[in-house]
Amino acid sequence: MSTVMAGPAESTLAAADFNALAGGLAEPEAVAGARAAAWERFTALPWPTRKSEEWRYTDLAKVGFDALAPVVPAPATAEALPADVREVLGRSGERAGVVVLREGRVAHLELEPEVARSGVVLCSIREAAERHPDVLRRALLEAQPAPAEEKLWALHLALLGGGYFLHVPRGVEMPAPVHAFHIVERAGTLSSAHSFVYGEAGARGAVIDEFFSDDLDAETVSLHGATITGEGGASIEYVALQRFGRGVKRFSAQHVAAGRDSRIVTFNVALGGDLSRADVTSRLDGPGGDSEMLALWFGDSDQHFDHHTLQHHAAPHAHSDLLFKGALTDSGSSVFRGLIRVDKGAQLTDAYQTNRNLLLSEGSHASALPNLEIEADDVRCSHGATIGQVEDGQLFYLMSRGLTRRQAERLLVFGFFDEVLGRLPMEGVRARVREAIEEKIGL
Amino acid sequence: MSEPLLSIRGLRAKVGGEDGEILRGVDLDLERGEVHALMGPNGSGKSTLAKVIAGHPAYEVTAGEILFEGEDVLELEPDERSRAGIFLAFQYPAEIPGVSIANFLRTAVNARLDEGEEMDVFGFQRTLTEKMEMLKMDPGFAARYVNDGFSGGEKKRNEILQMAVLRPALGVLDETDSGLDIDALKIVARGVNRLSEADEALGVLLITHYKRILNYIEPDTVHVMVAGRIAESGGASLADKLEAEGYDWLQQAAATV
Repeated sequence: MSTVMAGPAESTLAAADFNALAGGLAEPEAVAGARAAAWERFTALPWPTRKSEEWRYTDLAKVGFDALAPVVPAPATAEALPADVREVLGRSGERAGVVVLREGRVAHLELEPEVARSGVVLCSIREAAERHPDVLRRALLEAQPAPAEEKLWALHLALLGGGYFLHVPRGVEMPAPVHAFHIVERAGTLSSAHSFVYGEAGARGAVIDEFFSDDLDAETVSLHGATITGEGGASIEYVALQRFGRGVKRFSAQHVAAGRDSRIVTFNVALGGDLSRADVTSRLDGPGGDSEMLALWFGDSDQHFDHHTLQHHAAPHAHSDLLFKGALTDSGSSVFRGLIRVDKGAQLTDAYQTNRNLLLSEGSHASALPNLEIEADDVRCSHGATIGQVEDGQLFYLMSRGLTRRQAERLLVFGFFDEVLGRLPMEGVRARVREAIEEKIGL
Repeated sequence: MSEPLLSIRGLRAKVGGEDGEILRGVDLDLERGEVHALMGPNGSGKSTLAKVIAGHPAYEVTAGEILFEGEDVLELEPDERSRAGIFLAFQYPAEIPGVSIANFLRTAVNARLDEGEEMDVFGFQRTLTEKMEMLKMDPGFAARYVNDGFSGGEKKRNEILQMAVLRPALGVLDETDSGLDIDALKIVARGVNRLSEADEALGVLLITHYKRILNYIEPDTVHVMVAGRIAESGGASLADKLEAEGYDWLQQAAATV
């Protein structure tokens, strides 16, 4: 262990933490270099404050980063997994592969032999750095975080414990999703992982990133990043299913790049944790590209969910459609802040953005801030947001059939969510998400 | 078991927050196994009575009582009344997008189970299929969202389907015949008759504007409601008289009271 050194005033995490972490790793140059550069950026940047629009409703000053112990990326094993995870893993459902990460470190990774024979690669980031350094470097470089996101993004890369890399070669269609479990077990830690999904031209792939912890008795932070790239005509489905226990604060940044005629679906489901922040950026790089951005959240107690999105149309003739729906009860709160940006050359863009919120209690609160920034003159864009309550007529109808008020409200939340669930292409993915939502909402 | 299934005494009610009473002293007894028709002109308070029996929160009861199997139900929430055995077939059923009929009914059946009691999933599915066949409903119907985009006839059939699955002790049918063509009317009427045959104790309060449905469901008693009261009660022949003579004679009588 290194001796404790005082860091710069704005840096709450000590350089010693990073040195201890990076020093103990014999990392390939592609990773070590990116890690050191990220740490430098992290220490140079100030923490964003509530004065910035992006962090107005989520106060980072209330997250005790300096008290957390960064997790050193030592090897992890797949022994003694939480019962909940074992149960889901033990099912025979259709799966192309499994990844288990503990505190961001890969503990187990397997790909169905048949899928592997078709040319699909599933490996740890570390292995990817050795075998596919170019692809990895490009994916890392392409993910340009927005200025307000940069500090956390840098911390995420600097402290990266591990992650996986899924590569679907040209024209290969995966029959089922890869299911990755991100498990956090140690209270008071700060851990970080990354998911890389890369589809070559005409490839088809799907991934579920499922985040799980029990209720933890000390503040714990989980950082996650995802880079999802689809080349021409690729089709990728990416689901982040967040069902952390209480005590966990989660920050996630997802960067999608949709090539010509590709179709990329991202689906964020936030159910657990104390605080869950997701920044989802979708860049449409080629004509005919299609990005579908979906999200659902259900917050109770004093949970806080914060979703920021960017639909960035860099190429003409592309399509993006965002539908985010949240329901809140008790003193739950949520923020949606979305931007459609259409570059000057991106004529004939088709972009839609909808956020709907359902409040079940007096004490719950939702903020919706949809926005457009259009520089092209021949586009079709619309954005809208609503915040409403359950309709009395529907409630009475359901109660007149014997459902308690709570059951009736919860069933109406299911109905409210169904429109979004119905847009997930793969049935196996849809079933898992529906099950997790049912478990959270209960009936 | 000597008390009536439904006993309404001196019931007065109005829309909450408004002045005028819509129900102005309703008295009505309905025994187990009986079918009563409640007729009357528009605005006489028939539908209000149906909603007040089911516990609609928009109405305020200012006087009187509703006893169901001897128990006062006015203090019960709508869901408690339902679980006690009261069913209201709505005149205008709510649309619930995103919730399938099967899911909805499963939840409603579940809500009737005691703590820790497991639902018989296969039994439920069998019952649902059987009742849908009885009402000549396409098997795909169960997967459709509750009343979402339904025709008038489909909505009414869906109401009777729910009654058939939930098996109440009392069915209050609020203008279930309105908006139905003759074929749909026959199907709905046959459905109600089959439920009565299957459960001899089933009580039905059939609210209707027209005599037409009474050609298919034979009432034991016909009541006529005028200006918030039961103005006249009689046998099935009363409906014929109303058809021939209209409501004027009763309205005049009510006006002179």
